[in-house]
Amino acid sequence: MIFIIDDDQEMAECISLAIRSIKPAESIRIFSNAIAAMQVLDDEELPSLIFLDILLNGPDGFTFLNELSSYSDTAKIPVVIVSSLSLKKQQLEDYGVVGFLDKTTMTPEDIQKYV
Amino acid sequence: MESEVNGILVAAHELKAPLSLLRQLAFSLELTEDDTAARTKIQHQMIDVSDRALKQVSDLTKIARLDDGLFEMEPVAIRGVCDEVTSELRHLFRYNHKKLETSYTNHSRLVVANRELLYSVIYNFCLNAMHYSDKDSRSELTVRDYQDKVRFLVRDFGPSLPTDVWRSLKKGWVEKPTSIAMRPGSSGLGLYIASKFSQYMDANVGAIRHRDGTSFFVDLPVSKQASLFV
Repeated sequence: MIFIIDDDQEMAECISLAIRSIKPAESIRIFSNAIAAMQVLDDEELPSLIFLDILLNGPDGFTFLNELSSYSDTAKIPVVIVSSLSLKKQQLEDYGVVGFLDKTTMTPEDIQKYV
Repeated sequence: MESEVNGILVAAHELKAPLSLLRQLAFSLELTEDDTAARTKIQHQMIDVSDRALKQVSDLTKIARLDDGLFEMEPVAIRGVCDEVTSELRHLFRYNHKKLETSYTNHSRLVVANRELLYSVIYNFCLNAMHYSDKDSRSELTVRDYQDKVRFLVRDFGPSLPTDVWRSLKKGWVEKPTSIAMRPGSSGLGLYIASKFSQYMDANVGAIRHRDGTSFFVDLPVSKQASLFV
């Protein structure tokens, strides 16, 4: 299962489509905010990968990453940041982020590389 | 000068969002080569996204022309403008799993405003409400009489307004486009545009902070001209 956390529903669906075009049977869940995603993480099965936007409605992506790294099981989930912000690599590695996709330049192949 | 550069930066950042989305939608078109229905849907999305971006650009150019006084004030039937905005945005709300509801109780139908600017103000507030609403929630556009004016109010149900925007609004206006720390493609620029246009129309603009969201309102003077609508 893959999580996509992005408050832009259309962008999230584009990412989902890129994944499904190589893995049609993959289970994908889209969340528009970090709180909704965190609730599912608390109650249900853990995803194998998370695509995470940084500027979210409500708690931002960094708050979500902090929350994720606070628990031993969720801390192991690989996270790919999808954002149009310029972020420092070091800033992301501290959170155990495995990849960064720039929304302004990414292609479906860039997304598929992590799936 | 610094404020001008900041404004340009914020505008550029805000426009990055629709342009990035258009690019991804174009890729999605390629990925759905054999699915006519999906392609049609994506094509409509591309038109909608570019329309919204163009509106924003057009509003920004209008701000630059406000000082020239080119926008004449006239009696405007506010419900009609609200209906046009809601009809344009309803599809977008539905697509994002949100609802836009209207409630009109005003007796004074005509207000003194510039129709074009008023449309932009209502449009920007509604779009802002959509961005700030939680999924599956509603936003409300209300028009009612308020003292000797007509108030339209857009209420969203979502996280509270960021403190910096709240402070600006308490002072009366959003004086400059808010920093990129805010959500892209949403309220920073939209609220700034709405504030500027309201200011031009001599209308009071403000916000009410709720536990579960925010209401933005604008009070417009009532036109003394008899309404053509019953």
